[in-house]
Amino acid sequence: MKFDPDAELVARVGRGDRAAAQALMARHLPKMLSLARRMLSGQAEAEDCVQEAFLRLWTHAARWKPGAAKFETWLYRVTLNQCYDRLRKKPAAPLEAAAQVADPAPGPEANLVNAALAAEVEAALQTLPERQRAAVLLCHYQGHGNIEAAEILGVGVEALESLLARARRTLRTKLSHLRES
Amino acid sequence: MSEGRNTWTEDAAFADGVLKALPSVAVPPELEARILADFNAVAAKRAPGAVSRFMQRLRDAAWPGAPLWKPASILALSLLIGLTAGAFVPAADLTSPEQTTASADTPSVLDISGDF
Repeated sequence: MKFDPDAELVARVGRGDRAAAQALMARHLPKMLSLARRMLSGQAEAEDCVQEAFLRLWTHAARWKPGAAKFETWLYRVTLNQCYDRLRKKPAAPLEAAAQVADPAPGPEANLVNAALAAEVEAALQTLPERQRAAVLLCHYQGHGNIEAAEILGVGVEALESLLARARRTLRTKLSHLRES
Repeated sequence: MSEGRNTWTEDAAFADGVLKALPSVAVPPELEARILADFNAVAAKRAPGAVSRFMQRLRDAAWPGAPLWKPASILALSLLIGLTAGAFVPAADLTSPEQTTASADTPSVLDISGDF
């Protein structure tokens, strides 16, 4: 059985331990919010999605059985499923509209180029099919390994590699002008 | 084959590079507060009621650190043995004539009513 660094915290959360809940949040919330934000492109929606995922966690923690699956994998899968639900409910935003959505980056002039670049990358990400987007975000943005990312997506490693290959190709085609610059 | 492999590696490196351009997403304190409020609500709903608290105290007093079914089953088994014995084992009849005669025939150890 693989060691799960979250197992003890989850058990404590199941017993109503608030400090454990805060520790789990501190450990996972930033990455979950980043993932949801890049999947959905809207900050408010991403926050709702992550809040819903944590609510699932609080509700199910008492019944969590260590060893069945790695907790982090389960949590990311719940987050992604929340993202998929929201994506299916709303119509896809056109590329031009997505390109205009920029993060509120700090600093004025020096960050303008970076902000524009980020907006372009985000717009290109939004054009990817949802599973390709999730795959590329898990592996290239969040730094998960292929095996772990495949488990989160609920697919085999080969299927993940196929998703990744198509996503990378599309990104490279859409952002080819960045490559020259 | 190696050209395909090169393209695959270049695509991966490109994806790594462009996704690094995305800024990190800061967690707003309000979101943390909302999530913790959810936790408090779930924990409050899960908190035991008055009956559960009484049972918990009883359990701790009767058999600390273990479920109540252990002492309860021992008591139930004792009761069952007692009832079975009461129902099936014949009781000695203290009023039977043989016992009365035998008792009357037995000389008293210390008879203070007789002459010395």
